[in-house]
Amino acid sequence: MLNRGSLHRRTGASLILKICLVIFFAVVVVLPLVRMLLYMANADIVEVLTSNNFKKATVNTLLVGLITTAITVPLAYLLAWCMERTNLKWKGLWVVLISLPMLIPSISQGTGLIILFGANGVLTNLFNLGGSIYGMHGIVIGEAMYVIPVAFLMLSDILAYEDSTPYEAAQTLGIPRFRQFCAITLPFLRRPMVSVIFAVFSLTITDYGVPLTVGGKVKVLPVLLYEQVIGQLHFAEGSVIGAVLLIPAVIAFLVDLANRDRGSNAFISRGFDTGDNKRRDILALIPCAAIGIFMLLPVLAFVVLTFVTNYPIDMSLTMAHIEKTFRVKGDIYLRNSLIISTAVGFFGVIVAMVTAYLSTRMVSPTSRLLHLLSITCMAIPGMVLGLSYALAFKGTIIYGTLAILIMVNMVHFFASPYLMFYNTMNSLNEHLEAVGLTLGVSRPRIFRDVIMPQCISTILETFSYFFVNSMITISAVVFLSNTFTKPVSLLIAQYEAQSAFLGCTAFVSLMILGCNLVLKAAVFLIKRAINRSN
Amino acid sequence: MSDTPATIKISVKDLTKVYGTKTVLDHVSFEVQTGEFLSILGPSGCGKTTILRILIGLLEPTEGTVYKDGKDITGLSPSQRGMGIVFQNYALFENMNVQRNVEYALRFNKETKDKASGIAENLVKRVGLWEERAKKPGKLSGGQQQRVAIARTLALNPDVILFDEPMSALDVDTRLSLRKEIKDIQAEYGSTMIYITHDQEEAFAMSDRIMVMETGKIHQIATPEEIVKNPADEYVERFVLQNLQTKVDSLARFIKVRHA
Ligand SMILES: Nc1ncnc2c1ncn2[C@@H]1O[C@H](COP(=O)(O)OP(=O)(O)OP(=O)(O)O)[C@@H](O)[C@H]1O
Ligand SMILES: [Mg+2]
Repeated sequence: MLNRGSLHRRTGASLILKICLVIFFAVVVVLPLVRMLLYMANADIVEVLTSNNFKKATVNTLLVGLITTAITVPLAYLLAWCMERTNLKWKGLWVVLISLPMLIPSISQGTGLIILFGANGVLTNLFNLGGSIYGMHGIVIGEAMYVIPVAFLMLSDILAYEDSTPYEAAQTLGIPRFRQFCAITLPFLRRPMVSVIFAVFSLTITDYGVPLTVGGKVKVLPVLLYEQVIGQLHFAEGSVIGAVLLIPAVIAFLVDLANRDRGSNAFISRGFDTGDNKRRDILALIPCAAIGIFMLLPVLAFVVLTFVTNYPIDMSLTMAHIEKTFRVKGDIYLRNSLIISTAVGFFGVIVAMVTAYLSTRMVSPTSRLLHLLSITCMAIPGMVLGLSYALAFKGTIIYGTLAILIMVNMVHFFASPYLMFYNTMNSLNEHLEAVGLTLGVSRPRIFRDVIMPQCISTILETFSYFFVNSMITISAVVFLSNTFTKPVSLLIAQYEAQSAFLGCTAFVSLMILGCNLVLKAAVFLIKRAINRSN
Repeated sequence: MSDTPATIKISVKDLTKVYGTKTVLDHVSFEVQTGEFLSILGPSGCGKTTILRILIGLLEPTEGTVYKDGKDITGLSPSQRGMGIVFQNYALFENMNVQRNVEYALRFNKETKDKASGIAENLVKRVGLWEERAKKPGKLSGGQQQRVAIARTLALNPDVILFDEPMSALDVDTRLSLRKEIKDIQAEYGSTMIYITHDQEEAFAMSDRIMVMETGKIHQIATPEEIVKNPADEYVERFVLQNLQTKVDSLARFIKVRHA
C-alpha cells in the first residue's frame, strides 16, 4: 500500500512479461495438443484402436521399448562406469565415438545398418553373414545405437557426482565389494536410474526413423502414424495414434517429475580416486572400444557408399552420388536445415534464458506455472507435436513456411536448454539484483552485465543443443515441411526405400554429421578460449 | 558519539510485516543515532533480515513507516535511500575483477569514468586489496571477498550501512581482523551501521547498542553494559547473558590453567 519505489514497478513489468510467456506457451504447446485431441472425433476411434494393425503395432512398440531399454541401460552404465571409475586410455576418443549417433538422424542408424548388414551389406559380404537385418532385431539394434549415447551421458554425469566417502567408510569396515554395491551403489542409483530408464524408453517408442528403415514387416506405432498421415493423409486416424503415443510419454514425464532429485549435486564431499589398476584399465578398454568402433561403422559405411560408384559391384571412386544429391536439391535442403537450426538456436536460447531467469530469479506463482509449461515440452513426442501443429496452424500465415518449422523445433527441444539455464541461474548468488538496486543499477542492467556473462558457457551449450537436434530431427518437421521448406534430414526418409539412392542418403548423413561436428568443434574452442582468458 | 548531542539518523515506527497469515514483524519501533553501531541479535527466523530489507527498500512493509533524517522514506526506491547493504555470501559480480566490482555502480551514478576509477582505486587500497585488484572474486579468500563487498558499498558513499551476518562464513582470525576494519571504517566515514549477527560476543565487542529480538518483537535495545546490568526480561537473560556466560566459563578454565 505504501511503496511506489522502482523495485515494485519493475516487478509489475516482469509480471507482464511472465504472462506474455505463459500465453506464448499456451499457444505453442497447449493449444495445438488440444486441437489434435479434439480432432480425434473425426475418426472412428474404436475402429482404429481395435484394428489388427494397431494391436500388432502396439505390442511391437512395447516390445521394442522394453528390449531396447533392458539392453541399453546396463550397457550404458558399464560404459559410463569405465569412463568415470577407471584410468582407461584415450577416454576423449571413446566419448566422442560413443556420442557420434547424437550427431546424425535416427533414421541414419537404420540406413547405416542396411549398408552394413543388408543383403549386399559391407559386413554381410566381408564376413559372409547370413540372415537379414530387417525385423525386430534390426529395430532394437538401431534404437540401441540411437539411445546409448543419451543414456551414457546421463549416467556419466550421475557417476561423476557420486560421493566416494561411503565407500571409503565401508572399506575400513571390511565390507565386501558386492555388499557395498547392494548397500551403497543401488540406493544411490535408484532415483537417477528411473530418469534414465524413462528417457530411454520414451525416446525408443516414439522414434520412427529406425523402424521405418529396418523394420521390414514389423510395424511400430510411430511408423503407423507416419503411414497414416504421410501416405494416406488420414489425419484423424493419425490423431488417435498420436494420442496413444502421448500416454506413455506423459506417464514417463510424471514419474520423472515426481522422482527428480531436488537436492543439488554441489555438496559432493569427495570425488572418486580411480587408483592404479592396470588389468581393470585394460579390461575397461574392451566395451568402450567395441561400442565406440561399432558407432563409427555406419559413418565409415556412409563414406564408402558416398564415394564408391556401385557398392559392391563397381568399386571405382565417383562424385556421382554427390552430384545426384544436389540434383534432387540436397544443397537447398541443407541450406533450409542450416537456417532452421541457426534460428532455433538463436530464438531458443533467448526464450529459454529469459524464461529461466523469470522462473528462478523472480519467483512468484506465475513463475511456477511458467516452469511447469516449460518442462512439459519434454513430455510431447516430436511426431505428436508435429501433427498437432499441422492441425492447429493449417491456414495460418506461418503454415508452409520455415517459421513453423523453427517454432516446432524450438518447442520440441525447449525443456533441456531451459533446465540448463535454470540450474545455472539458480546457482548464481541470490542477492545480485538486490545489490544492484541498492547501488542504483536496474534489474535489466544486472541481467546484461552480471547474469548473462556468467551464463556464457550455458548459452553456448544450449545453442549447440538446439542446433544439433534441429539438424538431425525428422519427427516434428515431417508433417510440416513441403518441397520448399524441407530440412535435409527428411531427404533420407524420402529416399530410404530406394536402393538407387543409398549413396545419396549416405552423403546426406555425412553432410549433417559434418555440420554438427563443425559446430561442436567451434563451441569447444570458444569455451576453451573463454576458460583460458579467465 | 556521546560528546556531541545525538541526532536521530533512522527512525522506525510500528513496522509490521505479514506473509499470508504469518506475522513476521509485529509493530516494531526503534531509533538509531547518527554514527551509531547497532547490532541485532535474535534466534533464526525472528525477523532480523526482514527489518534490514524493509529499511533499505527491498521489501515493502505491510504497515509502518521508516524515517531517515526525519524524512519519510518508506516509498523511496533502494538507490534513493543513501544506504548500503553487505550480505553474508558477498554477492559479488563474479565476472568482474575487484576494481570493476567497486567501480561498476559509480558509472550509473553520473560519475565520469576517470573519477569513478579514482574513487574505486582509493577504496580498493583502503580495504587492502591493491595487489588483488585485477583478480576475479573466485580467486580470493572469503575475507577478501567480503572486503570487496564493503568497498563496493562504500563507493556510493552511503551514510547508513546495513550488514546481514557478514562474518558467518568466515574463520575466527578473519573475523577478528574484519571486525576491526569495519569499526575503523565507521570511525573514518562516520557511518551509521546496523549489524545482524548470531554471535553474542561479536555484538558486545562492536556495538554501541544491541537490539535483542524474538519472533517479530523487540525485547530490549540498550548498551551492552546495560543489558548486562539490567536485562529487560528472562528471555534476554537467557538468550544473551547465559550464552555469553557459557563461553566465558569454558575459557576461564583454561586461563586458570595457564596462570596456575
Ligand atoms: N517470502 C516469504 N514468505 C513467507 N514467509 C517468509 C518470507 N520471507 C521470510 N519469511 C519468514 O519470515 C520469518 C523471518 O525471516 P527472516 O529472514 O527475517 O529471519 P532472520 O531473523 O533473518 O533469520 P536468520 O537468522 O535465519 O537469518 C521467517 O519465519 C521466515 O520463514
Ligand atoms: Mg537472516
